[in-house]
Amino acid sequence: MDIDSGRHLPKIRIVYCASCGYEPQTLELVSALMHAFHYDIAGIEIIPWQDGAFDVAVDGELIHSMYRDGGFPAPETIIRAVRERLAG
Amino acid sequence: MTVTRERFEQGMTYAEYKAQMTRNRERLEENERTIELSPDDIAFFANLPETLNVLVITEDWCGDAIANVPILGRLAAESGKLNLRFFLRDQNPDLMDQYLNQGIHRSIPVFAFFDAQFHPIGHWIERPAAITTMQEKMLASLYATDPAFAGIAPGTSLAVLPDAARTRLMQAFADFRAETRALADREVVRELRELITQWLSNRQEG
Repeated sequence: MDIDSGRHLPKIRIVYCASCGYEPQTLELVSALMHAFHYDIAGIEIIPWQDGAFDVAVDGELIHSMYRDGGFPAPETIIRAVRERLAG
Repeated sequence: MTVTRERFEQGMTYAEYKAQMTRNRERLEENERTIELSPDDIAFFANLPETLNVLVITEDWCGDAIANVPILGRLAAESGKLNLRFFLRDQNPDLMDQYLNQGIHRSIPVFAFFDAQFHPIGHWIERPAAITTMQEKMLASLYATDPAFAGIAPGTSLAVLPDAARTRLMQAFADFRAETRALADREVVRELRELITQWLSNRQEG
């Protein structure tokens, strides 16, 4: 929740496969989100995992899954999902 | 898979690799001390017709590497027939990209074997296949029986798991590693022997 306006701010969770070397893609996405939203997100949680994972959820909704969707998400896809929640 | 002698020799020895570790060295050395190798396994490697060169790609933060690199270290020390050189994955993409798991994942550790003339013999990645299968069964059982996973479909992304389920899942993986360690160690040695036996067989036929 935004301390000034009281509006809901989205929380982002990124799960990445540490043993696969997905740190650069994780940091690229985190950087894109930080620059796009500054104070307008509640937080970004980064979870190192295994087994080829690269999954991103916004407010508990899975926006991208490497297993389900293949590959890495374009940062714009995640930014759009966050914007939709900010607008809603 | 092309690795020249010159490139191979740029790698670190096992002692140099351990000396530069910034974490988990105690765990690696404890594993190295406590791994049980059979006399038959030692004899298999000691009786190889030539010393093999083994390129190791690893990182000190990787659990599978901390578990499996010491097995190779002990085999090398006790057989005298494995010449190891270590490369850090994130600093050597030219090597890592030759050994991608399923063509996409930069999984480690990688053990790539070469004969004395640097002809490739074969390579081994990450963990034994049998352990991966057992891990899948463990997960299926966890989702079916653990109350923390009630109403949660198997395969649900960690990104959307409730905190209680996520904590339970991480603990289950830690328990699984501890419970299957002896079997996993034996499977690593068995798979390495299988890889080299295939090479020896091809060599005799050729």
